[in-house]
Amino acid sequence: MKRRAFLKNGALASISLPFVQNGFSMQAIAKELFSVPKSAEDKVLVLIRMNGGNDGLNMVFPRDQYAELVVQRANMLVPENSILPLTNTVGLHPKMTGMQTLFNEGKLSIIQNVGYPEPNRSHFRSMDIWTTGSLDINQTSGWLGRYFESTYPNFPDAYPNVDYPDPFAISMGSEVSATCQGLVGNFSHALSDPFSSSSLPLTPVVNDGTYYGSQIEYISTLINQTNEYGQQINSAAVAGNSLSNLYDPQNPLAVQLKYVAQMISGGLKTKVYILNVNGFDTHDAQVDALDFKEGVHANLLQRISDAVRAFQHDLQLLGLEQRVAGLTFSEFGRQIASNGSMGTDHGDAAPLILFGSCISSGIIGTNPQIPNQINSQAGIPMEIDFRDVYASLLKDWFEVDPNQIQGLFEQNISYLDLLQGCTNSITQQETFSAQKALVFPNPSLSKHQLRFNSAGAHYEIFLVDQQGKVMAKVLDSFVQAGVFNQSFEVSLLPQGSYYYLLKSAAHQELVAFQKI
Amino acid sequence: MNLYNGPWTSAEAAHLLRRATYGASFPQIQLAVNGGMHACVAQLLNITPINEPLAYDPGEQIVAFGQSWVNAVYPADVTANQQTEAARRKSLGAWLMQNINQEQLNLTQKMQFFWQNHFGVTSSGDARAMYQFLNLLHQNALGNVKNLVKEVATDPCMLVFLNGSTNTVFSPNENFSRELLELFSIGKGPQVAAGDYTNYTEQDVAEGAKIFTGFIVQGVRSSTQSQVTSQFMPQLHDSSTKVLSYHFGNQTLSANGAQEHLDYIDLIFAQPETAKYICRKLYRYFVNYDISTWVETNIIAAMAQILVNNNYEIAPVLEALFKSEHFYDTSVRGAIIKSPFEAVFSMLNSTGSVVNFDLQTSSQMYLTMYTLADQMGQEYAAPPSVAGWTAYYQAPAFTKLWINSTYLKKRFDVALLMTTNGLTLNNQNFSLNFLGLLNGLSAPAAAPTVIQDLCTVFCPKVIDPADQLYLKSLLTGGLPDFEWTLQYNEYLADPTNPTFYNPVILRVKAVLNTLFRMPQFHVC
Repeated sequence: MKRRAFLKNGALASISLPFVQNGFSMQAIAKELFSVPKSAEDKVLVLIRMNGGNDGLNMVFPRDQYAELVVQRANMLVPENSILPLTNTVGLHPKMTGMQTLFNEGKLSIIQNVGYPEPNRSHFRSMDIWTTGSLDINQTSGWLGRYFESTYPNFPDAYPNVDYPDPFAISMGSEVSATCQGLVGNFSHALSDPFSSSSLPLTPVVNDGTYYGSQIEYISTLINQTNEYGQQINSAAVAGNSLSNLYDPQNPLAVQLKYVAQMISGGLKTKVYILNVNGFDTHDAQVDALDFKEGVHANLLQRISDAVRAFQHDLQLLGLEQRVAGLTFSEFGRQIASNGSMGTDHGDAAPLILFGSCISSGIIGTNPQIPNQINSQAGIPMEIDFRDVYASLLKDWFEVDPNQIQGLFEQNISYLDLLQGCTNSITQQETFSAQKALVFPNPSLSKHQLRFNSAGAHYEIFLVDQQGKVMAKVLDSFVQAGVFNQSFEVSLLPQGSYYYLLKSAAHQELVAFQKI
Repeated sequence: MNLYNGPWTSAEAAHLLRRATYGASFPQIQLAVNGGMHACVAQLLNITPINEPLAYDPGEQIVAFGQSWVNAVYPADVTANQQTEAARRKSLGAWLMQNINQEQLNLTQKMQFFWQNHFGVTSSGDARAMYQFLNLLHQNALGNVKNLVKEVATDPCMLVFLNGSTNTVFSPNENFSRELLELFSIGKGPQVAAGDYTNYTEQDVAEGAKIFTGFIVQGVRSSTQSQVTSQFMPQLHDSSTKVLSYHFGNQTLSANGAQEHLDYIDLIFAQPETAKYICRKLYRYFVNYDISTWVETNIIAAMAQILVNNNYEIAPVLEALFKSEHFYDTSVRGAIIKSPFEAVFSMLNSTGSVVNFDLQTSSQMYLTMYTLADQMGQEYAAPPSVAGWTAYYQAPAFTKLWINSTYLKKRFDVALLMTTNGLTLNNQNFSLNFLGLLNGLSAPAAAPTVIQDLCTVFCPKVIDPADQLYLKSLLTGGLPDFEWTLQYNEYLADPTNPTFYNPVILRVKAVLNTLFRMPQFHVC
């Protein structure tokens, strides 16, 4: 990385201040703030992307409104008696027997009507929104990329290393996942076959600070990572195991999930696996003209359902069930009414599927309301914000501190109870406490805001580095009672971990942030 | 844009040729230096005609071996029909790679692929229609973008790809209408209100769908029709008056049958944002992924103005761009990571290596290259989505997306293949033209100059002296430089004697084997 000058004002020389705060040394607090709880260290999240915009209404059926569905999509609706019942009012597509089984075993949950405000019906923009976890057009990092960046700083330059020898995420196939995009590198490692390994030659390069320099440095880093991660993956896959006989070798998703099971059982510490299924952009011939239960979409659903069922079965046999949870997502659902080509056009919200033995099984949310007449271009309105689903997974599954999570998302998070049953780690609803100070966005690139609840007192706020050195005093004045909110320019700060130390007569607090 | 008036050396000429073609050789770079920038740009702005793809695969059951199939019917029998289609697709894939490998030193191939990325079309299920579509892109590669969009709108391949062929007054289908605005013309801006994307709204998408109703496609894999055609069916067209959103001044389009969509495309191109959107894509493709505020204000705006002033002709825009001060700024040199085609064909084209065997062997070798490029993330006739390849639009990584652990391994495999055994098929071996490359350099007998010249051809910036020394040690086999001079001169004295040329080839192979796997080779 290029060296950057520190802060514009040269007068802000650092003052050495090895002080102790509330009985803890700064170093200890730093560790506390950024460490991952032991119980969450071996948790794995599997994401399955349904690329193209999945027709939620042909996957999860509001059984109580079949008559309305007939009004909307008579030219493609599966017969009522073939829908697989989950509850009295909710059913699955007839091809999804595998997932029906998981639901009955308490290992599958449907999250209804997931979307975001002001839906965007462009594949590309909407997929950006889902992968960045943000509605901000300028947000380019992925939601998992931000989480990783705030927890494991200095990626990709500092990785792999002794503490983190394995890729943070693996994207099955030949492309990395936008969910894991950080500001410099992508935290996901693209992998086609964990059993193939070969070493690439590495020529060290120098980044001269130009576009050229950053590109050749990137390629060089990737060569190094490919070699080191490749060896780790290969050893894990060879050491690993797969016990289920339910995987269909003709089903590409099943083959990939089997690889995932082998890597997990072989001890790979990768936290996230991302898999991709193409083909959901079903503008025409979504169903078979002679049998509406069959067709392109039915086959895609069956592939996912069967593969997840086999994977879950494998994890059970391997004794790994409690370590793995999975989630499906797609850029949008489709319009309520079908079009004239036995297909559906781009719509809005749609259901997500959550699976694993630790998830709180059942139906989260309510059935969408299907009108009894066709409204041109109407989609399913959002009920649950997808960013809340992500945030809830981070909190309950990876046990991330809610304040850190709030720094990753722009909206005020409402947590959902997604995980229960096996660990029951956090049951009560926790939300951002206005008593605690917050830096947003965190990690920060150029500007961020510091927010805290002032009791109405004289405050001194210091910027402190990882070694406990005070870099600058950024505030020294009376702060009125209420929420204090101020922007700070940090673009010239070298990358690393920092804190704001808030001090008043009655209130002392540290809030950490990452500069990237 | 300011006219470039700095030095015109092999560094500048090589930079221009690396961006505008799939690979120039050292002698071609020298010719460009001697001719000057204006002559070089003038040469680049030509379109080379291309021959039609020829049948070579035994699956073809209509035309004879070596004949063009682009205007030939399909067999009526279902199996024979499928076999023939498979054979024609192979022929098409091989032909696409052959065109790149045999490009003349101009923009034809780079621009044809630019449009393929722009429209993101995947085959319609009839190789003849895909050929027609690619040929349309070829004919208009440096032509008028407004006309091209009009042609593409009713092209059979596009009509099938984005469901235009089933878009009727009875069941409008928004697919093409949406992508036309979002990706092909004006581009999508930030969402500023529900269904409002700065430059257009959902209303325009819905009304646009109606405007494009009524075109059907005939003759897909037909045993009687020699071409796939599109036809306007008035009874399937929505003849209501269409009302556009405030972004288009709430204008109305009255029924105008088969011409109505042309009126609509004229309206879209009348919006200033359309020219800017097209120029941003050109800039990202040819100059740099990063469009800073400065670039937007000074370069994109100027390019867009030239496009508008020239009634949407592309050539004047590229002419100005390739002669601009900004294009030669050292800050943008080497800013692009090579696409798989750029990586593979810089190995071939810059060494003057052309696959030239019997039709079947050549075609099979080109098809192998097509497949290798696919495994590196670039399958010509099948973009990953209608938005094209992510490397051209996905922020912040852009061309970094050509490089990941999977693609990287494949790239290096290809580099190894090309610098060791080459490609062997039907007892024929294709190797790079190592001797031709060497003999074309400025002073082949001088080891340091050989390395310098190779870096001029293959690397966008001067590489570190230590790396140059290392490459030189591969050329000399670790011996003093004069040993290489002796070796080369022995070969020159008896050029057909394998005792002398084989060791020379081996040394050049050793250099390229490493050079092609250095990060500096993979940027341009």
